[in-house]
This record gives sequence, C-alpha cells and structure tokens, in this order.
Amino acid sequence: MTLTLTLRTAPTVPLEADVLSPDRLSGVSALEAAKLTVVHGNQRADLGEFFQVGGAADGELHLTGDLAQVKQIGTGMARGRIVVHGSVGMHLGAGMTGGEIVVEGDAGDWVGPEMSGGRIVVKGNAGHMLGSARRGSQIGVRGGEIVVFGNAGNEVGNGMRRGLIAIGGDAGDFAGVNMLAGTIVVLGRLAWRAGAGMRRGSIISMHPAELLPTFSYACDYAPEFLRVCLRHVRGLGLTIADSHVNGRYQRWCGDGIELNRGEVLILDSAGTASRS
Amino acid sequence: MGENLKVVRDATCTFCGCVCDDMHLTVDLDQKRIMKAENACILGKAWFREHGIEERPLALIGGRTATTEEAVEAAAQILAQARFPLIYGLSDTTCEAQRVAVAIADMIGGTVDTTTSVCHGPSGIAFEGVGESTASLGEIKNRADLVVFWGGNPAEAHPRLFSRYAVTPKGMFIPNGRKDRTVVLVDVRRTPSTPAADIFIQVKPRSDFEVLWALRALVKGRKVDPSIERRTGVSLAVLEDLVARMKSCRFGVFLFGMGLTMNRGRHFNSGALLALATDLNEFTHWVAKPVRGHGNVTGADNVVSWQTGFPFGVNFSRGYPRFNPGEFTSVDLLTRREADAALIIASDPADNFPKAAIEHLRRIPVITLDPKATPTTQLAQVAFTTATYGINVSGTVYRMDDVPITLRPAFESPYPSDEQVLTAIRDRVRALLGGNRLPAGAPVAAAS
Repeated sequence: MTLTLTLRTAPTVPLEADVLSPDRLSGVSALEAAKLTVVHGNQRADLGEFFQVGGAADGELHLTGDLAQVKQIGTGMARGRIVVHGSVGMHLGAGMTGGEIVVEGDAGDWVGPEMSGGRIVVKGNAGHMLGSARRGSQIGVRGGEIVVFGNAGNEVGNGMRRGLIAIGGDAGDFAGVNMLAGTIVVLGRLAWRAGAGMRRGSIISMHPAELLPTFSYACDYAPEFLRVCLRHVRGLGLTIADSHVNGRYQRWCGDGIELNRGEVLILDSAGTASRS
Repeated sequence: MGENLKVVRDATCTFCGCVCDDMHLTVDLDQKRIMKAENACILGKAWFREHGIEERPLALIGGRTATTEEAVEAAAQILAQARFPLIYGLSDTTCEAQRVAVAIADMIGGTVDTTTSVCHGPSGIAFEGVGESTASLGEIKNRADLVVFWGGNPAEAHPRLFSRYAVTPKGMFIPNGRKDRTVVLVDVRRTPSTPAADIFIQVKPRSDFEVLWALRALVKGRKVDPSIERRTGVSLAVLEDLVARMKSCRFGVFLFGMGLTMNRGRHFNSGALLALATDLNEFTHWVAKPVRGHGNVTGADNVVSWQTGFPFGVNFSRGYPRFNPGEFTSVDLLTRREADAALIIASDPADNFPKAAIEHLRRIPVITLDPKATPTTQLAQVAFTTATYGINVSGTVYRMDDVPITLRPAFESPYPSDEQVLTAIRDRVRALLGGNRLPAGAPVAAAS
C-alpha cells in the first residue's frame, strides 16, 4: 500500500518539504506522516496542515496537486519511488542517490542538483539548471538519469560528471556548460553556447546548432555507443526515430579552451552545423 | 546666497561607485542647501544640488501622516508576522545601516537582497565560480598601461573614472598620463565614451561571450576560425591585434559594466572576462574590476558578504544563510509571488523592476526608507522619510574597488538616518519575537 498525499491547503509562501522522501517515510503510518515537520517560509508546520495523508508507506509515495510552491521533494532519496500527479517546485530530487521520481506535470528550477544515482522523469517541462551543480560548486550530476519530455531551461547539466540527461524538447542556453563527462541528449533544439567550457562528455543534438568558436569539426560518423544510448532513451519513453538511431553524426570537438576532449554530435540529416 | 555659509573640505560624493572624496562643498546652513560643489562632475553637482531638505512628513502609514515611532511599530508588526519577507535595496545607504538590515533579515528569517542582483549580480556569481584578480583604483591609476572598458559608458555614467583613475591621470609608472596608456572600449554601439578610446571594438549585440571566448582561445594559442566575424562583427585580425597588445602590456585592466552582465549569458559573460584576466596572468599582470553604479552598492556586497558569507540573494528561512540567485533574488521571488512582505531601503524597485514583480509589490505590505518620494514609497504601507547619506548622514561607504571611505556630511537633516530607523525596527521586532526566530529547519534535515 502506498502513502498518498493530496494537497489540501496550498502554501501561501514556499514550502520546503525535504521530508517527502520514501526513505524518510519508511514504515510511517498516515497519522504519523501528517505530524512530520515541513518548513513553511520561516516557520515550522506539520505536513498534515497542507496535505491529506492516506495509506501507509511502503517505499512508494504518491503526491497529488499543484506543488509548484513545494520545494526539495525527494531530497537525498536513496530508494523507493515518488509519483507526482501535478507540478513540482524547485530542487526536486536534490542530491538523490537512488530510486525514481516521476512528475506528470512540470518541474521548477534545479531538478536533481548534484544527484549521483536514481532516475527523475518529468513528463512536462523543466526549469533552469536541470541536473546541474549548485552555485559555487564545480561538479554537478555524478550519476543517474534525468528524462524530460518537454523543454528545459538554461544550464542543463552544468558541471555534469557522469550520467544521462535526455530532453524531448528544446534546451536553453549553455547546455552542458563546464561538463566534465556524461551524456546529454536533446531531441529538440539546442540554444546558444552549448558545451561552453566542457572538458569531456557528449552532447547530442538532432537539429543544427550554432557552436562556439572554440569547437572544431572532427568527422562524420555513426558512433556505436549512440545507438545503444538512443535505444536506451527510447526505452525511457522518449520518441526516438530509427533515423536517429541509424543516422550519421557530425562530431565537433571542444571546448578548445579546456581539454578539447568533449564532443557535440549533430545528426547529419539535420544540416550543417555552423560556428558561431 | 545666505550669510550663514560653511565650507566642507574633502567631502565625499555618493552618487556613483567612484565615491570621489575630494569634494569641496559650500553649504548655506540657513537654506540647508549646497551652493557649490568644487571638483564634482556633472552628476555629482546635480546630486549635491538636488538634495536639500524637502517638506515631507516623517512617515506615512497607509498614506496618512504618522510619527516615526508609530511607523516603527507598524513596520515591526508587519515584519514580525511575515513568513517570507524580503529586505531589498541597500545600495544607497551607509554600511552601518546595511548591517542592521542584515541583522533584521537574520532575526525574522527573511531574505536579504541588494540592487546588486539587478546589476552586477552575475559578476557576483562569477567571482564565486571563477575568482577575481583585483586591484584598487589607485593601482590602476599608477600602473595600468592598457585599459579595456567592456560594456559600459563611463563618460556619462562615471565621468571621473576617466579623469581621476583610468585614462588621463599621471601615475607613478605612468608619468605621461594619457600618452602612456592604451585605451580600448568594447561596446555594442558608439557612445560619448567612444572618443576617449584609442581602439573601439564594436561587437554585435549579445555576442560578448563569443568574443571573450575567442580571445581566451587566442591567448592560449588555439586557433580561431575567421567565421568569428560573422557571428560577432569583430574580425579575427582585430582580435589577434588586441591579444598581442594584452600579452605585451605591463599592467592591464578590464573595467566592465552592465553591458556585459545584463545581456544574454549573464554570469558566464562576467566569468569569461574574469577567466580571460586569469589566462593573461600567465604573460603579464592583469586585473578585472566591475564598474559599480550606486554610491555604496559595493558596501552592500561587502557588508552582506561579511555577515552572511554571500554577497546578495541570501535567505535565512531555515536559520542559516543560503545563497541562491534565481531562488532568493528579488525579481524572481516577487515575480513568483512568494514574498509576503517587503522592507525596501534606499532604492526604487517600483520604478525599474519588471511589471509582474511590481504587481506583487502592490499586493503585499511594503515598508520603505527613502529621502525622496518615489513610485515605491507611493505603493508602500509604511513609508519613512530619512536623511540622505553623505549629505546629512555620516558613516562608511565602499568605493567600487572595495576601499572604504568615510563620509563628511554637509548639514543636518530633521529626518532620522536609515540606521536609526532600522535600529528602532530591529529592536521592536526583537521584542515582538522574543529574540531571533527559532531556526525553522535544521533538525528536519538531520536524518542521515
């Protein structure tokens, strides 16, 4: 039996609910869960003031309602599953190490900051800083997967070190900025300055992209790893055409200012990439 | 001109971030006006001329005249009851007032943010990520033989930056002043600053990052494709020439403005320029300084950093400071309708914030401290009239190069200072809350 939480009273100011994580709620009854502490602005409050709680925790958590003002859901979770029937606020799955979060609606900024394992699936759009490092931090996502069916904002995968970020729609400016390694797949359009400062890692785009002057064209090929990667992304629910899987890609090396061992792969039928 | 004249020598102008401290003011004490401001630039002259004493009520509560004490009580009640209060502004007041404002934010578990978040905030983020090679304006005056202004118009915004520090003055190692310096100006259009430059580089709008990135590549000896010109409007030859000059100068300085920080790319633009300065230090000495606008915005950064560890956009909801631009910066949290009260000190967001943010300010109780009537004081629930810093109030301000300078006020004001009002509010809030609000969150996060 899962623990179900339905938003009853919308918070008037941001609600920080890092307690909403399957680990923390393990073995907790609905009554006990309603008494757990959340932070409403600058004051403590009971979870039950905002949520109607039902069922019992068995590692799965179902949240319902417009939770755009609710931050930090799934912080540090290591196992279990959270399903959100609605939208969520900032810092979803911050630093998570395992388990799965599925959001049926949109997610705010900072989805999965510095996560190291597990999976986050956002069926709608995600905000800025998807799977990125926190401000002042050099290393972002260390592992795990983030899948966004819609669009994502700026700085996708900032400082990413390992793992996979797949975006069904468009990505904003500076996707993969300061990337150390890992893979970012963007099925829509890449906005400006993708891969700025990247050392290693792969950014894959299915559309023409304007690259920085420090990226250089290497070759045109059909990398084997990409077939595996894209089939995996297809398995996660995104629409991957056979032409994507079997297509040839232009390989652009960068960032020349850094190690120059990163790559931006651009689907060849998408037309010629251009330098900025 | 009246009989009762006073001359204040070496007074400080707090209009812009240059904070010139060589003003000689002639003050008419009967009329409470500054008649003459020797050494002041055109902006400074206007600043001193326009700050006389206006006949305004000490305070307004809901538009009705009130005493300062009544207004302090009303303000303290609002702040003590708020759950997500915002304290904003602070760039046109003294450091002494700023630190009381931070104390209030800490006490009420609010957010403290300064006008930095809408000007050089991106540079503040970049400092954290990239670092800053820095210098005082005095060092720049005495040593800099290559000065690069990027995304600014100092001739109109900081007139004495040219004449006092960076272009014309003679310095210890710059004996011939202007003749010993090469001045480069990078901007998207010609401005009144352009004639002051030896080299003017006009970049296409929103392509500063590409230009800086190409410069970085060239400095590191990497190849840059000539197609850079199509994207940025700057030819490879111009960039190569600039790089040669930058590598061969003795002391180079970037002075960058909001043309860089407030266009697409934001903190990455500032970061690219700071990184370029770092790269150049492999060859010769280079520094980079943001050119700051308001008189004590640098003080705001310093005071907030000194008290919280972060320069702006700091939240205390959980009892400890958290820095997150985008989450805790004023425009963002007002646009998302999060704040439920605002204390605005010496700034005018209702005049320059985006419409959605101003609309939220109209929805929530706002407290203002300002010497003048502004669009923000007009929408405020509680509006204090305060004395003007530098003209009526003494204290400390920081010049744009982080040098603290003492103010020498010209004449007394019948109005209290920002510091006095904020101290009274702080004391009353403390009494209402019985000390600091208990940290809201720490124990919750204790599970491991």
